[in-house]
Amino acid sequence: MTVVRLANVSRSYGEVHALRNVDLEVAAGRLVAVMGPSGSGKSTLLNLAGGLDLPTSGTVTLEGVDLAAVKDLAALRRRSVGYVFQDLNLIPSLTAVENVMLPRELDGVRARQARAEALAVLEEVGLAEAAGRFPDELSGGQRQRVAIARALVGERRLVLADEPTGALDTRTGDEILQLLRGRADAGAAVLLVTHESRYAAWADRVVFLRDGEIADSALLEEVR
Amino acid sequence: MSIRYGLLALLSRGPRHGYQLRQEFEASTGATWPLNIGQVYTTLSRLERDGLIRQGEADEQGRVVYEITEAGRAEVERWFGTPVTPADRPRDELVIKLAMAVATCPDALKVIQAQRTASMRAMQELTRAKRDTASPAQRLVLDSMIFQVEAEQRWLDHCEAVLREEQS
Repeated sequence: MTVVRLANVSRSYGEVHALRNVDLEVAAGRLVAVMGPSGSGKSTLLNLAGGLDLPTSGTVTLEGVDLAAVKDLAALRRRSVGYVFQDLNLIPSLTAVENVMLPRELDGVRARQARAEALAVLEEVGLAEAAGRFPDELSGGQRQRVAIARALVGERRLVLADEPTGALDTRTGDEILQLLRGRADAGAAVLLVTHESRYAAWADRVVFLRDGEIADSALLEEVR
Repeated sequence: MSIRYGLLALLSRGPRHGYQLRQEFEASTGATWPLNIGQVYTTLSRLERDGLIRQGEADEQGRVVYEITEAGRAEVERWFGTPVTPADRPRDELVIKLAMAVATCPDALKVIQAQRTASMRAMQELTRAKRDTASPAQRLVLDSMIFQVEAEQRWLDHCEAVLREEQS
């Protein structure tokens, strides 16, 4: 089942064509990676897929809904989409569990339930014991796992990750990909932007962007 | 050469017979390096000739068990203590193909992209194999292969960047 679909999507900023005629879909249970040099349109693609930006032409459909027709995009984003960015954007004055609870509380979920959900996701990412610590008491890899927990809480169907392995060493980076892969295997659609092929290789499909267009893609054969 | 030292290293953990050695060798290299039993016995007889191992008692099923000698232990120690230097590489077909493409083919960027897609598929397969294995030794062998493909990809990116600059 398709969770997000970009159909003939283009995005221009004035004279600059950031993305041209891109067709891409991510189904539930799939991890799709987008690779390309800087300026190739990777982040634009991710922002369009998550409704943070709208296309100049073409349509973006999230769980069957055309984003151009949605009045309250922010609410749809909070409900359906989880974001993991390279800059973690954890709030330093909140503990790990409070950071993870935040999007649920914004959704109107009562604090007690939000806390229970947040603790469950922190456990899933292997950080149950660090729930009460503040971001500056955590390692880089742990902070990134908190950010991922925050993106996963509330059973979001689409997870978008922009260079989530940032400055992490390869072993910690692999752990992050293991988590994203696990989420896809559990039924989410995951779209990952990375410039590192070793992390893209965790995906079912790797899409190569060049000058805003899809140049090619590498598909992992299903195991029969 | 590495099969010889690989078997010797396995024997340094205790006496083993031929089939057992083959099994353990493949298990620790993630089955990326399949051995046939003939290779194993040929290698064992050379090791024996060189005094690095000796035949012990046959086991209850009549299979010959080999054990390492003192000279063999010293040899393993020396092997682990000596870093591997890159030998004279055989001419690399990919490098020649890309050099020729850049020199002669108007569509060299396509040649690069086709190679990139193919090596990405290989890396996806290796990563899946890595996900499926619980053995740290196997994972490290697969990681080594992943790093090699990654190096190839970085080189392809570099080729593309240089070529684009030439063309612009």
